[in-house]
Amino acid sequence: MEKMVDLLSTPILVTIILGVVGLAIPAIDAGRREKGTNRNKIYSAIAFGALIVSLGIVFFRVFTGEVLPAVAFAEGVLVDDMFGSFFAVALLLVSLMITASSWNYMKGRSNPAAYYSLILLSTIGMVLIAYSTDLVMLLVAWELMSLPTYALAGFSKRDPISNEAAIKYFMFGALSSALIVFAIGLVYGMTGTTNIGDSIRAMTNLDPTLMPVGLLAVVLFIAGFGFKMGLVPFHMWLPDAYEGSPTTIGGLLAAGTKKAGFAAALRVVVLGMFALNADWTLTLAILAVFTMTIGNLGAIMQRSVPRMLAYSSIAQAGYIMIGIALAPYSDQALSGSLFHIINHAVMKSAGFIAAAAVAVALASYSLEKYRGLGRRMPITAITLSIALLALAGVPPLNGFWSKLMLFGAAINAGPVAEWGPWLAIAGVLNSALSLGYYAWIMRKMYMEEGPDMSKVKEPKAMVAVLVFAVVFMVGFGIWHAPLIDFASQAVPDLSFVSNAAPGPLSR
Amino acid sequence: MHLRAERMWSNKMTELIDFLIVSVTLVAVGIYGIVVKRNAIRMLISIEIIANAANLNLVAFSRYTGNIQGQVFALFSIAIAAAEVAIGLGLVIVAYRLYKEIDVAEFRSMRG
Repeated sequence: MEKMVDLLSTPILVTIILGVVGLAIPAIDAGRREKGTNRNKIYSAIAFGALIVSLGIVFFRVFTGEVLPAVAFAEGVLVDDMFGSFFAVALLLVSLMITASSWNYMKGRSNPAAYYSLILLSTIGMVLIAYSTDLVMLLVAWELMSLPTYALAGFSKRDPISNEAAIKYFMFGALSSALIVFAIGLVYGMTGTTNIGDSIRAMTNLDPTLMPVGLLAVVLFIAGFGFKMGLVPFHMWLPDAYEGSPTTIGGLLAAGTKKAGFAAALRVVVLGMFALNADWTLTLAILAVFTMTIGNLGAIMQRSVPRMLAYSSIAQAGYIMIGIALAPYSDQALSGSLFHIINHAVMKSAGFIAAAAVAVALASYSLEKYRGLGRRMPITAITLSIALLALAGVPPLNGFWSKLMLFGAAINAGPVAEWGPWLAIAGVLNSALSLGYYAWIMRKMYMEEGPDMSKVKEPKAMVAVLVFAVVFMVGFGIWHAPLIDFASQAVPDLSFVSNAAPGPLSR
Repeated sequence: MHLRAERMWSNKMTELIDFLIVSVTLVAVGIYGIVVKRNAIRMLISIEIIANAANLNLVAFSRYTGNIQGQVFALFSIAIAAAEVAIGLGLVIVAYRLYKEIDVAEFRSMRG
């Protein structure tokens, strides 16, 4: 008899909680009596509560050890394992920070109910991507994540920039999901199944005449996921979309949907890499170098802080790709990637929320308005500085440790992959380059004086979120062991895959 | 008997290849549309053509292997595509209200 779906497993429980609350918020809004009053704060609090409860459930399951160790493959459509839990924690943290800061950002804007509801629904999609072990589930979760964010990107209906961002984001997003459906169709046609584990096992002894089709499928997967991850040939939409959408949503896209893209790529592409005997790692390494270099070069010229953060998030995707490219050669590489993913999620949300705080207080995104911010908005300025230093990888902060792990893995892989150390060199040079433009913003904030140096009232909820982010970045910078431990537990055991397939590992 | 089985197999194979040719043609048409056309609705339709080529693939493979999973997946995919078009058209309508224009070449206020 078929095993029943366990309604109490973490992914289902999180879906039920967020789904019920996410659908209830607009229902409450439609049914209320007195029109005209803006209930932004109530909805924000409800959404925040639902996310806290979900995060609590995920943490509780991890601490009580009810979660399976990270598995590469599983039967069924969803698996409650450490890999999924790790991404669920990172993504729920991002959504929490965004929801809390929207308390201030959405003040006086229209349709708060729809806004929070869409954030919750998108969060369900992101979390389910991390847990899914079946391509059908993966596609449905992928779309559940994407569709609300298209609407959120264009949420300021009267603002042409927001609409332009949404249209660009939508066109590329829809194209990427069409490519993913096509790739899944090819995999299904070759293997006759949509379970990720079964199809990869079937791919390991693929008929050699079908090899080009297999390669095409992997390329289409990389392209489809690459659009969301912001890898370089697929990044053109990204700065416009992150800059033009409401700034908090820019944070959700940069820190949330991007990480979910990595979760999907790890579930499908990295394992597929082992299965097809082709050596994909060098291709991914070249992608990584191009991604970080072009991201950093693009960021240098920017005058708008969200746009600079968008380019910087392209560069950070390049650093994460280092670990993915080296996955077959080193155990440390994937845990470094996962560690950098959770760090980047918090750092980038903090950066975007700081930019949103400036936008709320000063109504501008331009770098010129940041002059003298160190005295005008002290907490926002110090958080933005710490987030930028952490993104650059300055020692006591969390970003340093994850970069150290990634570059260390690249150097250690030297004996098996002679191009490994070059990746580390490219990464270090790029970090130095990025410190250049990060330091420039800090100089604007602390060394220069603007025309108006009066103190500005900082939005309270955003300040609370920013203080949390500072505690996270500094705290896990000094006391990084637990987070690294969590990240390395979340790496699936790939040894049996490489034994089954004569891939790069068995050389 | 043996001959008949072989003919059936080859019939199935030719049928699959016919479907795949149609599907590849549709993908080519869709990519042409995305690259060349600048009208938002044309681009939307081109993307839909690619998605439907993928659906055709799924159904053809499902018929070839005699496994129902592909058709189930195609149904999911069609439902999702419908939702996607709803959002896309919504965005295009808002764009028309703002710009009185749905030419994506005009949407370039952000630079750099």
